Amino acid sequence: MDLSVDLGRGLVLPNPILVASGTFGYGIEYGDVVDVDRLGGICCKGTTLKARIGNPTPRVTETPGGMLNSIGLQNPGVDAVIEKYAGTWATWKSPVIVNVAGESVEDYVEVARRLDGVPGVAGIELNISCPNVGAGGLQFAIDAGAAGEVTGAVRRATDLPLLVKLSPNVSDIRPIARAIADAGADALTAINTLSGIALAPGRERPLLGNIYGGLSGPAVKPVALRVVYEAAQAVKIPVVAIGGVTELADVLDFLAVGAVAVQVGTAIFADPTLPERLVDELTEECGRRGLTAYRELIGTALPKKAGRPSSKGVEYRP
Amino acid sequence: MRLAGAELVESREILPGQWIQAYHAPGLARGSRAGQFVHARPGDFSGLILRRPFSLNTADPATGIVTIHFRVIGRGTGWFTRLRPGDEIDLLGPLGRPFEVDPRSQHLLLVAGGLGMAGVRMLADEAIRDGRRVTLLFGAASAREVYPSSLLPDEIEYVVATDDGSLGHHGYVTDLVADYESWADQAFACGPLPMLAALARLAAGRRERLGVAKLGRKRGARKAAPVGSPAARRKAFLQVSMEQNMGCAVGACLGCVVMSTSGVPQRVCREGPVFATEEIAWDGAWS
Repeated sequence: MDLSVDLGRGLVLPNPILVASGTFGYGIEYGDVVDVDRLGGICCKGTTLKARIGNPTPRVTETPGGMLNSIGLQNPGVDAVIEKYAGTWATWKSPVIVNVAGESVEDYVEVARRLDGVPGVAGIELNISCPNVGAGGLQFAIDAGAAGEVTGAVRRATDLPLLVKLSPNVSDIRPIARAIADAGADALTAINTLSGIALAPGRERPLLGNIYGGLSGPAVKPVALRVVYEAAQAVKIPVVAIGGVTELADVLDFLAVGAVAVQVGTAIFADPTLPERLVDELTEECGRRGLTAYRELIGTALPKKAGRPSSKGVEYRP
Repeated sequence: MRLAGAELVESREILPGQWIQAYHAPGLARGSRAGQFVHARPGDFSGLILRRPFSLNTADPATGIVTIHFRVIGRGTGWFTRLRPGDEIDLLGPLGRPFEVDPRSQHLLLVAGGLGMAGVRMLADEAIRDGRRVTLLFGAASAREVYPSSLLPDEIEYVVATDDGSLGHHGYVTDLVADYESWADQAFACGPLPMLAALARLAAGRRERLGVAKLGRKRGARKAAPVGSPAARRKAFLQVSMEQNMGCAVGACLGCVVMSTSGVPQRVCREGPVFATEEIAWDGAWS
């Protein structure tokens, strides 16, 4: 069974099941519990130019069918990440895609430049949609012009395969997706978390130290399906789906609305072996259907004239 | 750390809303140390999407039984109380770093506030096995929340304080510490953050109160052990087991940090849950 995925610029994943940024650390934390060589790809924790201590606690809380997190991009900075982990990544069969965040276009460009050519770094996922930080969080993801500008600047700074992660916290995803694709991104990933809050016991204040957090988990899956459905029709580059994958049916749903691969995120916390199992189950499912490649499952639920933007877009405008 | 099925053997409510459950998990029972914890998965994945962390309350390698002690605070902990003997759940563990007892320490002072008992309970077993003497100071709101002495080893001295004076000392458990600070070689605590912070203040002033001379070294100061290292804990008079909302419990999500004196947030699940008191920024912006 051919499960390989070509995301462009030489980034070929062994299978379409990746692990999502922020839920799998730098790939080493789960130790022997997870066989990283069986994963389609690993998106590491958001990485910035300088070290960040992140947001005050509490940083996570469970919500119905999901969770809110507000880590605030705690990380040791790109140079420390390269020094500590790239050597290990280079020994893995699974490609490691470094999630990159910044406060300015210059930040993103500099981080990308430092990752360029580092053995063990297979690609970059541009995080322009973190809802949990002040400067440089969401503002690049909610405006097509800014999204295109930062994508283009990073594109010129590196030959690494470039994925750009979309935010669902926008009125219409399609012009943003197009601007990113036109600026030279190799693929889109969608979605980042939805901005939300939870209350502390006693209801005297919000629960999270940062007040706002990002909602993830099964609760966001319908939103992710909608965004992938729209983005897949708006651009010609591949779309990688994220949002509430907990079982094979979710993978099949995302493929049906046009995703070429999926990232498993929050569900890993409950079930670290889920991504490996999904690879097995997808293989079996294709066998059961008599398919020679899983790609035949992609886009089956899209309108017949897929590729043309929907004329119903106006309903998403404010 | 491994992922393993564990069969519920016994489940009972030891105090109003507080449960002790025994699971058959031979690998965990053999490989765990006091201070470590497990991350247990509720089977109801439709609504409860995170695992729940529980301190290992006891671990018996001979029978393969581990116990957890928890209070019902929401839907997740409620789910666990509805399990019946024979039911199987999956446990990820053992996780985190354990208490480290200096081999020279003969007298151990354990301090627990409320559910904090679950965090230090197993250390009493280990200390007695190793021939040490143990005093356990326990604080609760009232007599009806006092951990039953019948569930503790006979060999330990058990001293109780209640906020309302309904049993034992009338006041905070931290009031009792003064009587033991010269006796104790090391102290180990788990409980609410204000209790731990108060103990940290007491520990910081202990040397001066006891008149312990600072034994100088001929050439410079001894190099400080790195944050999170076993040596940093072993050398400390007071070790604390910290609590924080947790996501992955393996160090991947950075959800459960506490601020350290080095200025870098430390993961409760990985560098902790046990820290030397000197490692924690008690007056930091975070708590």
